[in-house]
Amino acid sequence: MLDIESLTPREALGRALADLGDLRQDVVVLVADTGETTRAKFFAERHPERFFNVGIAEQALVGIAAGLAIAGFMPYALTFAAFMTRAWEQARNSVDRLALPVRLVGTHAGFADAYDGPSHQALEDIALFRVLPNFTVIAPADSCEVYKAVTASAALKGPVYIRVGRDFHIPTTCGLYDRFEVGRAYTVADGGDVAIFTTGAVLPFAVEAAQLLRDRGVSAAVVHFPTVKPLDYSAVEKYAASTGAVLTVEEHMVYGGFGSAVAEYLSQTRPTKMAIMGLKSYGRTAKSPQELYQYFGLTPENIAARAEELVKLR
Amino acid sequence: MERRASELEPLICKARKYVVLMAGYDPGIHLGSSLSVMEIVAALYGTGRVKFNMANGVHNRNYFVLSKGHAIHAVYALAAAMGYLTLDELRETGSLGSRLQNHPEVDTPFVDVANSGSLGQGISLAVGLALGLKIRGEKGRVYLVVGDGELDEGQSWESFAVAAHYGLTNLITIVDFNGVQLDGHSEEVLRKGDLAGRFKSLGYEVFEVDGHDVGQIISALEKAENAGRPAVIIAKTVRGRGVAEIEDTAKQRLSRDDALRYAGNIC
Repeated sequence: MLDIESLTPREALGRALADLGDLRQDVVVLVADTGETTRAKFFAERHPERFFNVGIAEQALVGIAAGLAIAGFMPYALTFAAFMTRAWEQARNSVDRLALPVRLVGTHAGFADAYDGPSHQALEDIALFRVLPNFTVIAPADSCEVYKAVTASAALKGPVYIRVGRDFHIPTTCGLYDRFEVGRAYTVADGGDVAIFTTGAVLPFAVEAAQLLRDRGVSAAVVHFPTVKPLDYSAVEKYAASTGAVLTVEEHMVYGGFGSAVAEYLSQTRPTKMAIMGLKSYGRTAKSPQELYQYFGLTPENIAARAEELVKLR
Repeated sequence: MERRASELEPLICKARKYVVLMAGYDPGIHLGSSLSVMEIVAALYGTGRVKFNMANGVHNRNYFVLSKGHAIHAVYALAAAMGYLTLDELRETGSLGSRLQNHPEVDTPFVDVANSGSLGQGISLAVGLALGLKIRGEKGRVYLVVGDGELDEGQSWESFAVAAHYGLTNLITIVDFNGVQLDGHSEEVLRKGDLAGRFKSLGYEVFEVDGHDVGQIISALEKAENAGRPAVIIAKTVRGRGVAEIEDTAKQRLSRDDALRYAGNIC
């Protein structure tokens, strides 16, 4: 995976699709004037006859992908995550209700597109796709995981939403596991005082937070959940039981997202002291995603502080 | 089985009678819209272009997308008139447990696409389906029936532009232009402009016909199939056709007594 590690998340996405196109003749890729920005062009260069641009038209993008699925293809439809949500009702009525094998890939998710500001920063997409009964929802942490998750998604029968960034990532999962299993959580660090659960690109911040906590005498587990739905309930259960304190971190609104999914489960099975870290407002224009993580407090220091508070108040 | 226009007329009349009969059992059906689209549906099924037993061992078949899904009762009624459904099943339409739901759903017989309760979405699906058939080199066509009110949806034109751009000659679109939508006459709700011109400007071959003359529709279908570019048939129809009391109105519902009385007067 060294080769993939050097790619950006969106490049890993384009590469995964191009490679998948070699393996499977039924894979088609659609974009909404986003072939360049999503790096779907890597697929287009290798498989031009199976690549379609529908123009700046997200509703048609999703609906036409559904039609291609009915015709027996496995469509991957790519655009900015912020604009994929414009076609949410199409995702519901044309894809999810029919349980079609359509793969929607939202790129530039979270703070990945710092330059373009809040209109381009999707912080609601996990919630919106998670609520649809048949959708699988995957939020990889880095380019290695993007590559593996996209590849793994081809084996799924129903609809899938994959949340991808742009260029920023800190490679964390490249040596963590070999095969990506949809629906499985991966333990990055073990610990007994508090469990930090993450999804998406914030994983390395949690890893660093665990190191900071260790220096303060707090033993923190870090468990990464690239698949938000179906959630790895056994991992949630195991770490809730062993630590009694769960902190979730996501680059997404704290409403309806990954933290909510964990809370929905634990509140009904094993009520556990919890904190949900994420966003409560729209983003801002900035020079880099890192500036936004700082500004909105998604940093190793803040994660460590919240975890410590959780342990103290437990 | 291929039928001539004159052979279809009695079936169409019978189907109209059945639609009105269904309205007597289920106030939830969209009566006016099912009555306006009847000749269009009959031109497709009656000529064998699409089949009630469509997936029955057939390869390279044609597909049917009723994007104005609320008019599905025209399909059920015609199926009954042509012997593919019983009157018993028609009476159960809209009941829990009946496969004859009030929009095309995943278990609905006779149509290919189950998403058309939400307007505009059947159009995208039909375009994706036609694109898929084309890149696989299949001969089958996609017949897409849309309403004029449905053309208010932005998604409709997004999708028609894609079909034109990719030269989908295997997509035949028929507009049931009945001039009425939920809130009243279409021109008052939202002006449609020069509908034929809108399609022509995208590169469509456009045919305009009397949508209650099944012979005209069939002959337009033949021309559209050989047009060499994406084709649209704009079929001028009357909402509620065949029931004088609701013709050209937004009225979709009848009392049970009225429904039975009107049904008795048809054919």
